[in-house]
Amino acid sequence: MGGGAATPHSSSSSSSSSSSSIDSISNNHPSLSSASSSISLPPNTKRSGLSTDLRLGPSISTAHIHHCSSSAPSPRDQRVDWPPIKPLLRSTLTGKADNQRQATNLFVKVYMEGISIGRKLDLFAYSGYDGLVTTLSHMFKTTIFCSDPHVGGADHSGKYHILTYEDKEGDWMMVGDVPWEMFLTTVKKLKITRADRC
Amino acid sequence: MGYSFPEEVLEHVLSFIDSDSDRNSVSLVCKSWHDIERWCRRRLFVGNCYAVSPAIAIRRFPELRSVSLKGKPHFADFNLVPHEWGGYAYPWIAAFAKAYPWLEELRLKRMVVSDEALELIAKKFKNFRVLVMYSCEGFSTDGLATIAANCRNLKELDLSESEVDDVSGNWLSQFPDSYTSLESLNITSLSSEIRFSALERLVGRCPNLKTLKLSHSVPLDLLPNLLQKAPQLVELGSGLHTKEVHPDLYSKLAGAFSGCKGLKRLCGLQDVVPSYLPTLYPICVGLTSLNLSDAPIQCPELIKLVSQCQNLQRLWVLDYIEDTGLNALAESCKDLRELRVFPSDPFGQEPNVSLTEQGLVSVSAGCPKLHSVLYFCRRMSNVALSTIARNRPNLTHFRLCIIERFRPDYITLEPLDVGFGAIVEHCKDLKRLSLSGLLTDRVFEYIGSHGKKLEMLSLAFAGDSDLGLHHVLSGCKSLRKLEIRDCPFGDKALLANAAKLETMRSLWMSACQVSYRACKLLGQKMPRLNVEVIAEQGHPDSSPDEYPVEKLYIYRTVSGPRSDMPSFVWTMDKNSALSSS
Repeated sequence: MGGGAATPHSSSSSSSSSSSSIDSISNNHPSLSSASSSISLPPNTKRSGLSTDLRLGPSISTAHIHHCSSSAPSPRDQRVDWPPIKPLLRSTLTGKADNQRQATNLFVKVYMEGISIGRKLDLFAYSGYDGLVTTLSHMFKTTIFCSDPHVGGADHSGKYHILTYEDKEGDWMMVGDVPWEMFLTTVKKLKITRADRC
Repeated sequence: MGYSFPEEVLEHVLSFIDSDSDRNSVSLVCKSWHDIERWCRRRLFVGNCYAVSPAIAIRRFPELRSVSLKGKPHFADFNLVPHEWGGYAYPWIAAFAKAYPWLEELRLKRMVVSDEALELIAKKFKNFRVLVMYSCEGFSTDGLATIAANCRNLKELDLSESEVDDVSGNWLSQFPDSYTSLESLNITSLSSEIRFSALERLVGRCPNLKTLKLSHSVPLDLLPNLLQKAPQLVELGSGLHTKEVHPDLYSKLAGAFSGCKGLKRLCGLQDVVPSYLPTLYPICVGLTSLNLSDAPIQCPELIKLVSQCQNLQRLWVLDYIEDTGLNALAESCKDLRELRVFPSDPFGQEPNVSLTEQGLVSVSAGCPKLHSVLYFCRRMSNVALSTIARNRPNLTHFRLCIIERFRPDYITLEPLDVGFGAIVEHCKDLKRLSLSGLLTDRVFEYIGSHGKKLEMLSLAFAGDSDLGLHHVLSGCKSLRKLEIRDCPFGDKALLANAAKLETMRSLWMSACQVSYRACKLLGQKMPRLNVEVIAEQGHPDSSPDEYPVEKLYIYRTVSGPRSDMPSFVWTMDKNSALSSS
């Protein structure tokens, strides 16, 4: 699934009254300091590295997180499978807009630039961009990118292509910008284009 | 002189004890009670199919008639668990086929069920009666055809929310003409055209049919015929779509509905045309459950419908109901026990309806029996949450989803810690809680100190540090299931509370900050836990130990690491190497 969820790293200012850290809790509480209930890291483990070395996506300072209440989520934020509603319910809702009932297949044509014979894929077989791009990369034996940098096809030594789609309005767009369920309601066909064209 | 009950007496007494926890207590009294109990236990519930193996279950309980199994973690509902993760029903069914030829009931949730498994059920269990597959996948209508053709005594077939490979609707015709025992049929997730005549004949010859939940491929003009054949229905689910409104159909439908005098539960109503809603009015007063989460009905029709359901106990509805509708609900439906409000436009940036925290506050004030809430909205305040908590200390299930992440109290712009704190403090029997909005470690302090009966907690985009997780793990005595996504929780809390994990069914953590090192350590030191890492990027050993795992699923088990893992799941155990620091 698309990653890049912004996780604020710990800021001591927001943990208000509690001055106790886990270390002091472990030391004072009898059952916690016994070997069986807790596990301590080996003595020369570097513990400090955790919060700064993680590469979980765009780093956002805690100040921004706590005050960004009124800003609309960017398209990137939308792709984190949130809010938590079941796909069945989602497709009922998004499908209403364009009269698309609970169909079990959504076959679309896929062409690769330079190859006249295309393929067909059932998009309902995938739960997200990951599976789609991986399958296409294997099918067409090339590395495929979409606009989500965390989703990428297997490396096929040197060849790169970009995945695009034609939407209901007839425009050609790069795959990956909108939530998967929304993509399913607007995609008409797919094209794998050469990277230098985009 | 020793006193002892004859075994038969004890068995007879035990036959009145149904609850799993009571039976578990009975089995702990002494060896002979353990032995007697295991021979007379007829129902088994396995909350995590990997916590125990079929062989162990069969060895302990040789005479089961009914088994419930759950497979994938709950977050699989929201696409967080990769496809092909596991949860296969076949090994269980194959083992049962040998051990329990008299098995009558199977209830599966979030499992992968193949057509081969269905064939086994159809052919090996001579007295099979109940098949419930809730949110399952992996089978097709061919498998259903085999069930229909062979299970002479089938009472219940329920495919709620399962993904079925819908090859053809003809499977329904496989029920032989001599088959009359159907009592409950739920095929809402199927979409292919069913031969309506076959359905009509089936309904007509099953006099005990109480529950009929259909996919919306059944056209509206045929519904009255169906209802006339089954006036004894208690539960109905049907789309009500039609191309045009014609008066003839209207009166036929009205007549058919009023003929169903025992109808208590209604759902579906996809695509209902508002002008047909009045056909439902005569039965509204008898309804105890109404599920409109698929229905595009807006206010005021929605209010008109709901306010006639004075005996309603359960309402699932879209946020089209708005605050005004919820006020009306609070006035009319004093017996309401469960409310779920789903978002009609979850991805929209701006609210499309006027549904706020006020609606929920009204219902909490007006409905004294309300104990279960699932509410999607776009704003919340601490004062509203505190009011709800004080109004309804009898809440047992409270799931709030504020659609935009990190939203603070819209009045004070503070985190919602105090509000949720009020919920856990006042609702002393709270069993299930889901949080949302802007939350710091403080909310977890409240949850840890007050949530003593909390069994399931769902967290997303909350907290500041390991202290948050530590409060939960060290404070919530009854915690069984904890699922966390996108929270800044790391190794410290997890390792400090390692023993706690053996008292829980499972822990899910995704997009958090738990390192490979911690997982390997946990896996090595806790042999009764399976510490499974889901890593679609590659083998754990190819990532440095300090790197965070993508997804982590830890559960207690008596049957060791599982043997059916896909290529992207690894168990951290004593064989996992820790790279030297």
